[in-house]
Amino acid sequence: MKKALAFLSLLVIFAALLLATHPDYGIKFGLSGKDWLKYRYTDQYYIEHGIEEVGGTNIVTDIVFDYRGYDTLGEATVLFTAIAGAIALLRPWRRDENE
Amino acid sequence: MTWLPFLIIIPLFGAFSMPIVSLLKGKAKEVWATIVSFATLMVGIQVFREVWSKGTLLYTLGARNPFGKADFPIRIVWEVDKFGAIMVLIITFVSFLAVLYSIEYMKHDTGLEKFYTLILILELGMLGIVITGDIFNFYVFLEIMSIASYALVAFRNDTWEAIEAGIKYMFVGSLASSFILLGVALLYGQYGTLTMGYLAVKMAENPTIVAKVALALFLGGLLFKSGASPVHMWLADAHPAAPSSISAMLSGLVIKAGGVYAMARIIFSVFWPALNPITVGWIIIFFACITLIVGNAMAVVQEDMKRLLAYSSVGQIGYILLGLGIGIVAYGTKIGEIALAGAIYHVVNHAIMKALLFLVAGAIIHEIGTRNLNELSGLAKTMPKTSFAFLIGAAAIVGMPPLNGFASKWLIYESSALFNPILGAIAIIGTAFCTAAYVRVLFTFFGRPREKVLNAKDPGISMLLPMLILVLAIIVMGLFPWQISDKFMIPAARGLWDVLGYVATLMGGG
Repeated sequence: MKKALAFLSLLVIFAALLLATHPDYGIKFGLSGKDWLKYRYTDQYYIEHGIEEVGGTNIVTDIVFDYRGYDTLGEATVLFTAIAGAIALLRPWRRDENE
Repeated sequence: MTWLPFLIIIPLFGAFSMPIVSLLKGKAKEVWATIVSFATLMVGIQVFREVWSKGTLLYTLGARNPFGKADFPIRIVWEVDKFGAIMVLIITFVSFLAVLYSIEYMKHDTGLEKFYTLILILELGMLGIVITGDIFNFYVFLEIMSIASYALVAFRNDTWEAIEAGIKYMFVGSLASSFILLGVALLYGQYGTLTMGYLAVKMAENPTIVAKVALALFLGGLLFKSGASPVHMWLADAHPAAPSSISAMLSGLVIKAGGVYAMARIIFSVFWPALNPITVGWIIIFFACITLIVGNAMAVVQEDMKRLLAYSSVGQIGYILLGLGIGIVAYGTKIGEIALAGAIYHVVNHAIMKALLFLVAGAIIHEIGTRNLNELSGLAKTMPKTSFAFLIGAAAIVGMPPLNGFASKWLIYESSALFNPILGAIAIIGTAFCTAAYVRVLFTFFGRPREKVLNAKDPGISMLLPMLILVLAIIVMGLFPWQISDKFMIPAARGLWDVLGYVATLMGGG
């Protein structure tokens, strides 16, 4: 019963996502021309001004380390946390004090 | 000069330098963690005062304003309004007390340098969530907070329950986070920006079905993170299994910063132009009512002390969600304002009371070594200070008039009864269960002493001091309930409602 319900709600979510990514109702794919400027104006800005504002010729690194450098700092922290968590959980068990 | 960046810099520096500091033997890591979290508390107080004197703060990372040469934001911004400032203050306060408490509480454990690293990162993640004005950045910090809390829940890796709770929390928590990431991806695909305020502008121009699907994904993920019923099961396992200072932070802060605050922020500051307040508000009210009843009713039947407190947290989240839901449906009316102010007030109060209760539970476990309530009879004889702290905490959470829980619960009762009497009745039923649960515990504590508790004594000063500070906070806040509500909570609720003001602060550029 629970499983059937879970499966059913997965189907509903899947249908909703299909609707949201259908070009007639939701997100369009393969944008070009006017649509590009309408939906990807931020990307256009990075492409146009990236070199002069940041100085790197690689736009992805320009964005990841300059425009959105704080997110990269966050990602580094995620990695650090994951490592700290993994070694914290894989440490040897504490022994009983009277041992 | 604004103090805001130091809110991130100081805990980040503290966490990243912890492995080096812990090369010094002795108490270096405890001292370092205490200094760092105390400095963060000072910065938190400064940021709070700054927001209260100057209004919403806007800070752009890497430039003077978020725009560059465009007329839309291209950089990550922080935007701290009054609700955000209240959250900053309460997060830094409770985190500092939890770190202070850990010094004595955790001294029998191993791997403490990882523990203090993770506890500082947990604080960092929550602070990042409450100050950010960028939706992807919100996701990044949600993830920092979640991963640190998975590791801290399972920190006592030699107990089976910690590992079980950690695995359960991690599996379902990652699923909930991925829902939120999927929502962010949909929003970016449709609107082409990640800044919260500018997303609201874009949504006002063009509300689409994509926004509704994304909102549903966000709500699903965030209701999970806040521990609303029917997805509260992780909470009831995770809080008992974690070390008590971590339970205090999880229950007092994580479910609010990552759940309730994020939900309020995303509904009001991002989706408000695209959503139907009646539908969304009633969905939240519906889950709030289930949460209220299930959480409080399950608390009554628990034998395990920390599990009782965990279910009680679920129940209290129900009140907060009820206030939030009414604040959404009754937007722009007096009733809605009271409800939202009550919800914000209860976030603060519950963080203080539940932190206190979990710290007390930790002290009892530390001294006696059992969480089973039936074995703790007569505790008041041998641990009088701890039992007194529990008495204050329990009275506050039930909502006894001279203490702080009364005013916030009263605001929620009053507004829900005016809004819809059935909701008021449900809130009262929840409190009846809550009272039953805590009175039962108190009867046990004041009963005839069992031999197991005869040799117990109150814990040392570094465990008693955080409890004492929290007791004082409860009593002092209880003395000025309506002043606090008028001066802080109602302006915060109005600030949350002021969607145009939020967008104008962003687009004004600062």
